[in-house]
Amino acid sequence: MKTLPTLHCFGLATALCVLLSTSGSSPLIAQATRVPSNAPTATLPRLPGGRPNLQGLWLKSAGGFQGLFIGSLDGTNLAAGGARGARGDARGGRGGPAPTRYEYTPEAEAERMDRLRRGFEDPEARCHLPGVPRALDQPAGLYPVQIIQDEKYVALLHEAMHDVRIIPMDNSRHPQNYWAWDGDSRGRWEGDTFVVDVSNFNGRTWLDMAGNFVDQNEHVVERFTLTDADTILYEAMITDPTVFVKPVEMRFTLKRVPAEQQILEYSCLEGERSLQHYTEEDGGKKVRAK
Amino acid sequence: MNSHFLMAASYAQGFALSRSRCARACTRSARALRLAFCAAVAAGAFAALALTGDAQTKSPFTPARLWDAKTPDFRGMWQVRDTAYVNIEGHPAEKGIAAARSIIVDPPDGKIPYKPQALIQRQENYKNRATADPSLKCYQAGVPRATYLPTPLQILQSPGNFAIVYQDNHAFRVFHPDTRPHFDSADWWMGDTRYRWEGDTLVADVVALTDQLWLDQAGNFHSTEIHIVERYRMTGVDTIEYEARIEDPGVYSKPWTLRTVLYRIKEPGARIIEDECLEDANGVRHHISPSDPKNLLKSDYSRWKKPAQK
Repeated sequence: MKTLPTLHCFGLATALCVLLSTSGSSPLIAQATRVPSNAPTATLPRLPGGRPNLQGLWLKSAGGFQGLFIGSLDGTNLAAGGARGARGDARGGRGGPAPTRYEYTPEAEAERMDRLRRGFEDPEARCHLPGVPRALDQPAGLYPVQIIQDEKYVALLHEAMHDVRIIPMDNSRHPQNYWAWDGDSRGRWEGDTFVVDVSNFNGRTWLDMAGNFVDQNEHVVERFTLTDADTILYEAMITDPTVFVKPVEMRFTLKRVPAEQQILEYSCLEGERSLQHYTEEDGGKKVRAK
Repeated sequence: MNSHFLMAASYAQGFALSRSRCARACTRSARALRLAFCAAVAAGAFAALALTGDAQTKSPFTPARLWDAKTPDFRGMWQVRDTAYVNIEGHPAEKGIAAARSIIVDPPDGKIPYKPQALIQRQENYKNRATADPSLKCYQAGVPRATYLPTPLQILQSPGNFAIVYQDNHAFRVFHPDTRPHFDSADWWMGDTRYRWEGDTLVADVVALTDQLWLDQAGNFHSTEIHIVERYRMTGVDTIEYEARIEDPGVYSKPWTLRTVLYRIKEPGARIIEDECLEDANGVRHHISPSDPKNLLKSDYSRWKKPAQK
């Protein structure tokens, strides 16, 4: 059976954005390889209140993401070691943590396999927000996240999809009658670890481009731990009793981006217009009929 | 009473008010440039009216500080209360939209000083505004338009960091210190912003905006050559005076300035909520409310029969 080709980005502006990100003169391309100088490991940077200072521009270095699917028309997954080489991090990256394991209920497993074949229905391809933890779990080395923090909030400004999460730390509870792609996040400090409880998901999120998914019962606990001045260990535990038989654990590291680099703009513009070529009424049907 | 009469009265009052606002602001300011501008305005026909009412000197507001005891604290959720998003120039009432005075304070007539060719383009845009407004295609709103949308924004800040998150279309801008030059080799929806502090005023320099943006729903526009100097100044605990000086020599005959006020949103628990704007296959824009899971695009993936909710 042929697997459908999907592209990570749709739309001219997004393509330009990717071109920018990958051209030699761009500040982004060097991020994955450049090692920040003067990285003190003895003491963590802290805010005056004593909490670890998570602020800065961060880039996923490796691990976690197994769903990158960059396809060719003959069904080759270039990201998983296709002929043109891997642009993504399909196997967890060199020396990175083990890839995430998903253990589905039988019904959900069938659904996942169906979605794997229908990658064109990935909501992110339609410019929907990626959800949690996918906002951070982007292909390694591609889209950074800017963190701004004070005593009340930790804000994550993601370059990818210009997704924003402003996480309050005020002991408040999740709201009623609010459902969102990114759910609702409430943060707290457990020692030096920033712990975020995320609930109120709209139930339509895919966890990656390979059909892994959750429904409205998704609940995520994220842990951000500064392990040295230039590294955040990110851990997420995803529970969804109607989809997974056991919680999904995800772990990867964020590396500090050198200060001379900056976040760029990401736009996702064309919406469904480009996807017309991939839906059942159009090209998708033809491709799948093979 | 005749509505045209009301409209005319509203306009006249608007012009007078915009002048008196200028006089107030300028007397507070020690900046030579603005004094000069004010002198020019004072020479206008409404000078006497402007100077009689509100010209007494007030000491400037001193904002609270961040934990470095130095940086002015602009944090919070803010929103304008005007209808400049419809038209930044003065506009009469329309169905569902209140009349409003121009938020343009320079030139004094409250009109954008278009070059003749550009004015024709603007009139064309205005005629086609029901379909031609780029925001209908769900593009991010751009600068300064994002500032005076009828949705809140949140200022995130810490010493050395400044960013604005706009609820509309989850757009955000990270303000970079002006110690390094602009990243201006791209045409972006939200531009590239460099800032510095002039006393307690944040002064931001914005370039690298695409020419696909409009400044409002009325077809006011610019080119990629646009250069904006924004000034954010707290005038009280709950107000930020926002000013944008806009130049674009290919489109405008001279630089012009708009000014509006951001008010603090004080409802407890108020937050930026998730706002998606997506264009469907018919080119119709949908703002998707997260509070209503039924409010989905028909095409959204929904074959998974969700088991019962917990």
